[in-house]
Amino acid sequence: MAKIIVVTSGKGGVGKTTSAAAIATGLALRGNKTVVIDFDVGLRNLDLIMGCERRVVYDLVNVIQGEAGLNQALIRDKRVDNLHILPASQTRDKDALTSEGVEKVLDTLGKDFDYILCDSPAGIERGAQLAMYYADEAIVVTNPEVSSVRDSDRILGLLASKTRRAERGEDPVKEHLLITRYNATRVDHGDMLNLEDIREILAIDLIGLIPESEAVLRASNQGVPVTHDDNSDAGQAYMDTVSRLLGEEIPLRFHELQKKSLLSRMFGGGRR
Amino acid sequence: MSLKVDRADMAFTFKGGMLPMTVMELASADPEQIREQLSGKLSQSPAFFQHTPVVLSVEKLDEPHLALERICAVCRTHKLLPVAVRGGADPVKQSAWALGLGWFPPSDGARARSLEEVPPVEAEAPSEPEATASAASGGRIYRGTVRSGQQVSAPDGDLVVIGAVNAGAEVLAAGSIHVYGALRGRALAGIHGDTEAGIFCRELRAELLSVAGNYKRLEDIDPHLLGSSVQVVLRDAQLGITSLA
Repeated sequence: MAKIIVVTSGKGGVGKTTSAAAIATGLALRGNKTVVIDFDVGLRNLDLIMGCERRVVYDLVNVIQGEAGLNQALIRDKRVDNLHILPASQTRDKDALTSEGVEKVLDTLGKDFDYILCDSPAGIERGAQLAMYYADEAIVVTNPEVSSVRDSDRILGLLASKTRRAERGEDPVKEHLLITRYNATRVDHGDMLNLEDIREILAIDLIGLIPESEAVLRASNQGVPVTHDDNSDAGQAYMDTVSRLLGEEIPLRFHELQKKSLLSRMFGGGRR
Repeated sequence: MSLKVDRADMAFTFKGGMLPMTVMELASADPEQIREQLSGKLSQSPAFFQHTPVVLSVEKLDEPHLALERICAVCRTHKLLPVAVRGGADPVKQSAWALGLGWFPPSDGARARSLEEVPPVEAEAPSEPEATASAASGGRIYRGTVRSGQQVSAPDGDLVVIGAVNAGAEVLAAGSIHVYGALRGRALAGIHGDTEAGIFCRELRAELLSVAGNYKRLEDIDPHLLGSSVQVVLRDAQLGITSLA
C-alpha cells in the first residue's frame, strides 16, 4: 500500500503547493512511484507549478463523479518518469468532493503507487478536511510568522481528531513540520520568528527548512518544481527534506546567518 | 485524583484519599503528664490502642520547643503510632521531620485548604482531608499540547495538562488548572464559582486568566510576570498573580 501524505497548513500562501510539487518530484527522483493530487477544487494551481496545465483533460472531480477513469485523469510528468499528477477542477467547488469518492480514488492509486501526496487547500473546511482525512503522515507547512504558526497549530489539532486514523483509534497521523520562506537575516533582526520558537510552540518533528529564495518564485512561474534546480539553496533544502521523509538523518542547513566573506561580497557571490 | 498509567509493570500509583484519623490534641507538653493520662485511658478502652495512627496536634501549645521524641515514645509504649504533627513553630516542624513524621500546617480553615500550603508529602502521612476533597473526584489529566481551537475541560474537578496550552486554545475546570508547560491560551478555573480554585503554570503567556468569573486579559498582566512560573488565585475578589520561582 502506498503511503498517503497530506501537505497542509491552514493558512494560505505559505507554500503548500510549491512544497507538494517539490517533494513529490524529489520522491520520484529518488525512485519512488509517486502521485500528487490537487485537492484545491475551484482554485487549482498544482498543474501550473508542475508545468502541466496544458495537458489537463479530466480532473479529480470527474473521476469521483464517474465521468472519467482514473487513468484518463492522471497526467504523467514530462521530466520524471514515475511521477503523476491528478489535477483539481477549476470550474467546480469543494462540495463536489465526497468522502467515499476520495477514499475510492486513494484506494485505487494505493495499489500502483509508493507515495500519494495530497495538496490541501487553505482553510479548515471541507476541502482541507477531506485532503487530510485518509492521511498516514502530514507535512505541516509553516512560515516564520505568528499567524502562520497559529493556523498550523489549529491544523495539528484537526489532524489529531478529524482523520480516519484518529476516528478509528489507530496510530496517530505522523506529523512533520516544514518551515518555508525562512530568512536567517530577518530572523536575526527579529522580523521573523526563529526556528526554536516555532518548534517549541508546535512541538512536532522538523522535517525540513526551506530558505526564502528567488529560485522558488522563478520555479513557480516556469512550472518547473524547484527540486530540479539543484544549484539553488531551496532545491537542495527540498531534497534534504525528501531524504528525511525517506528515513535518512541529514543535518539541518540554511538556518544560520551566513557571514559573507569580503571576497564574495566584492564579487557578489552567494547561494542563489 | 489518581495518576493511572496502563502499564502492567507499574510498582505503585499515587492516590489522594480521605482516611479517618485520630488527632491527639495536646494541652500539655510534659511527657510524664501525658503518660499518666494515657495509662488511664488504656485501662478504660484497650480496644482503641491497637497501633492506632494519630496526628499529634500542638496548636494549643505555646512552647517553641517540644520534647517531641519523648512524647512519641510515650505514645508508642501505649500502642499509639504518631504519624504526623500538626501546628507548632519551625523547630517543631524540623524535629517532626527528623523523627520521620509528617508535618501539617495549623488547621485554620482557608489556609490549610489553599494549595500553596499543601503539607509536605511524607510516605505514611495521609493528606489533610480538606486539601484533597475537591480533587478527589472528577479531575482530569490531559497529556500533550492543547492546540489552537481545541477546548479541554474538567467540568467536575481539577485539570492537569502535561504539556503546553497554545494560543487560541481554551482550558476550563470546575476546580484548579495546572499546566506543566507554557500557558499561551485561555484558562478558566472555578467555572462553577469555586473561589478557592487557582491556575498554576510553568510559563505564563495566557490570553485570558479567569477564576470564578474574575478575569484578567493578557494586557492586564504585569509584563514582568510573562514567561515565568506563576500561580493565580483570588484574593479579596481580585485575581492575584504571583511568581512561583
